[in-house]
Amino acid sequence: MKFVFTREQENFRQEVKDFVAAEMAAGSFTVDSAGLVARESREFSLKMAERGWIGLTWPRQYFGQGRSYVEKMIMNEELMKYQAPIGYHFLADRQIGPSLINFGTEWQQSFFLSRIVKAEKEAQFCLLFSEPDAGSDLGAVSTAAVEDGDVYVINGQKIWTSEAHMADYGWMLAKTDFDKSVRKHLACSEFIVDMKSPGITIRPIINSAGAHSFNEVFFDDVRIEKKYLVGKKNEGFRQIMAQMDYERAGMERLLQNYSIFDLLKKHVQKMSDEGENGEFYAWVKDQMAQLEIEYAIGRLLCYKNAWIIDQGKKPTTQAALTKAFCTQLEQRLNNVATQILGPISQIRTGTEWSPFPVDLAACYLWGPSYTMQGGSTEILKNIIAQRGLGLPRG
Amino acid sequence: MEFGFTSEQEMLRKSFAEFLNKECPADLVREMIEDEIGFSPSLWKKMAELEWLGLTYDDRYGGMESSFLDLFILFEQIGKVLLPSPLFTSAVMSGLLINDAGDDNLKDSLLPRIIQGKKILTLALLDEQGRLDADEATIEAVQSQGNQFLVNGTRLLVPYAHVADEIIVCAGVKGHGTGGSTLLRIDGKSEGLQTTFLNTLTGEKTFAVRFDDVRVPAGNVIGDVGRGHLHLRGILPKATVLKCGEMLGGLERVVEMSVDYVKERHQFGRPLGSLQAVQHHCADMATYLESTRLIAYQAAYLLSEGLPCETEVAMAKAWASEAYRKTTWIGQQIQGGIGFTEEWDMHLFYKHAKASELAFGSSWFHRAHVFKNMGLS
Ligand SMILES: Cc1cc2nc3c(=O)[nH]c(=O)nc-3n(C[C@H](O)[C@H](O)[C@H](O)COP(=O)(O)OP(=O)(O)OC[C@H]3O[C@@H](n4cnc5c(N)ncnc54)[C@H](O)[C@@H]3O)c2cc1C
Repeated sequence: MKFVFTREQENFRQEVKDFVAAEMAAGSFTVDSAGLVARESREFSLKMAERGWIGLTWPRQYFGQGRSYVEKMIMNEELMKYQAPIGYHFLADRQIGPSLINFGTEWQQSFFLSRIVKAEKEAQFCLLFSEPDAGSDLGAVSTAAVEDGDVYVINGQKIWTSEAHMADYGWMLAKTDFDKSVRKHLACSEFIVDMKSPGITIRPIINSAGAHSFNEVFFDDVRIEKKYLVGKKNEGFRQIMAQMDYERAGMERLLQNYSIFDLLKKHVQKMSDEGENGEFYAWVKDQMAQLEIEYAIGRLLCYKNAWIIDQGKKPTTQAALTKAFCTQLEQRLNNVATQILGPISQIRTGTEWSPFPVDLAACYLWGPSYTMQGGSTEILKNIIAQRGLGLPRG
Repeated sequence: MEFGFTSEQEMLRKSFAEFLNKECPADLVREMIEDEIGFSPSLWKKMAELEWLGLTYDDRYGGMESSFLDLFILFEQIGKVLLPSPLFTSAVMSGLLINDAGDDNLKDSLLPRIIQGKKILTLALLDEQGRLDADEATIEAVQSQGNQFLVNGTRLLVPYAHVADEIIVCAGVKGHGTGGSTLLRIDGKSEGLQTTFLNTLTGEKTFAVRFDDVRVPAGNVIGDVGRGHLHLRGILPKATVLKCGEMLGGLERVVEMSVDYVKERHQFGRPLGSLQAVQHHCADMATYLESTRLIAYQAAYLLSEGLPCETEVAMAKAWASEAYRKTTWIGQQIQGGIGFTEEWDMHLFYKHAKASELAFGSSWFHRAHVFKNMGLS
């Protein structure tokens, strides 16, 4: 047990901090909220690439730096606190790289990993998992990938695909065994799809926060070469579950709205016993302390995930628990913030009366998505109960 | 950041667990509630022989010079079996006070006997409203002629006062010379001292203690006159965090017990644990457990290393209080009617969670402390 960082880790944190501060001072980005992973700037990613900060944890033979996940967590903590625009490479770095390292072919590894770590053009990925009839029940995907000589022919539909309209490649789960007697979890495979392929149609879906972040993606006789099959045919489901751990283990689930907490602290700092209704102020203090405590716990949970991965173990249960804890906290944060600020919290940014330079109203509107994407809280609780505590499946 | 035990810590944890599981089954806990003394003297002796009472003390007094973290690990295991014993009030609270504030004479004469379990001390801290009033103690000690104090007042919820050789109070000293909040050792058999058993929700041995013109020699002051509250404040973080350790152990046991139960118990032709409403209750319990483990161990580690951790200690107690209580509520719910019986162990933890929540500051109190340290007021 050690609840402190090593000197090297502290130095690394400082290095990232300095970098972020310099970038902010140079105006390369401003603090925003709610759209962390969507905020992208290839320029910013290139600067990170230069420092070896993309693929930080990947082994050296895979174009990475071979550093620990704890270090990566430190880096992400400092980047995410200020909403640095890391969206260009973030997803590929978080889960495409590790998946390719685990399951990819040599060609896939050398082609994609080298491009991702350099933040090259055409190295942005989206995730083509969910379908209209396969959400939580991901194994039920019906988008078909049928072998035809040297290619797979894809037909079907994906939905909720974040950033499909920006991405160069899609990481797709599709059905590859159509024998009804085969269990559905043993009937799908993973593919990389060039999003510019003929036969792909992308349609925007406007979410309830008024933003275009996810899409519908249609596949109409899309032909992809067999070298784009990742890992083993019909083992896609198992492979994807390993990938989900990376998707759930990180700080982004805790810090997407950290700037709101920061601003809220500044707001509360201006309050006083004289200026406020005593009962209200007492309530505010209690809520702020509660949030501070939950942030502290969320942070420890995230670092423990990193530590588990560094031990060479699977963080499945821990990552599920972390994501469930942190995303519920983020929802509460935005709720408490609106309650502390009162009616003016509804005013979106862009007027002189907006309470914060960051769009709190938007953050509140995004709330429902936190506990849904990347596995709903209910699905995560199923994992904790069944995988973690060994309770029998229903 | 490292979240695993060292091999020594793991060995220690195992040895604590093995001993306590064997020596302190739930039946003993129940028996001790009915028992007059309220703990097992033979078990007390064994623990003293294992030197658990002197874990963190200097070798000079017969201590083990182990780290505070080791002591925390012990308390986690104590909480898991709900060991009834004066260890906390005597060997930890009273002992630490003497160790930190006492002079060499006092330490040399008293600490070895506390560590050997030959003397039991207890602390009488709460006033009749249940407040820790050390800053302006309502218990009065008037300095009279003959180099002694006359002590008057009442303390509530004093653990093991009926067997205590000495009771430590933080009294407001009045009279000539310096005064103010002062720690006094009072002989448990003093004339004018009256203990009344308090029947509380846990049924543990806890007492009201009345001091009626109790004569206390001036030499019984621990530390400095007028600084009793400061001495006390010095040990409160440790006491609070050990309480959290105990709570963590209890929480752990409740999760184990509840999960075991719902795996075994069948309704509708299937184990309860296969029902999702029940599974999600269990997932919530597991989350309370893991979060409490991290936040409590963090505080214990930082204290152990002598690093600043006022906020972390407050966070640990604020969170553990809520998490433990909520987990026992869930535990009661999913263990059905049997969970609400005397015969089943669940209620022991339900009670312990409430009593622990109320000890050393409720979660509201500690959140106020966290807020204060956020620098926003
Ligand atoms: C903002 C956002 C971005 C997203 N981005 C992507 C993306 O880039 N790529 C991608 O593939 N997908 C993406 N998704 C989709 C996301 O993964 C799914 O929404 C999620 O898996 C839930 O599936 P569903 O929407 O079909 O809901 P459903 O599965 O229909 O679930 C509806 C409700 O039922 C509950 N439920 C379902 N099954 C169970 C069960 N077994 N036990 C208990 N309760 C259950 C759920 O918890 C939920 O509350 C995104 C979603 C959002 C909101």
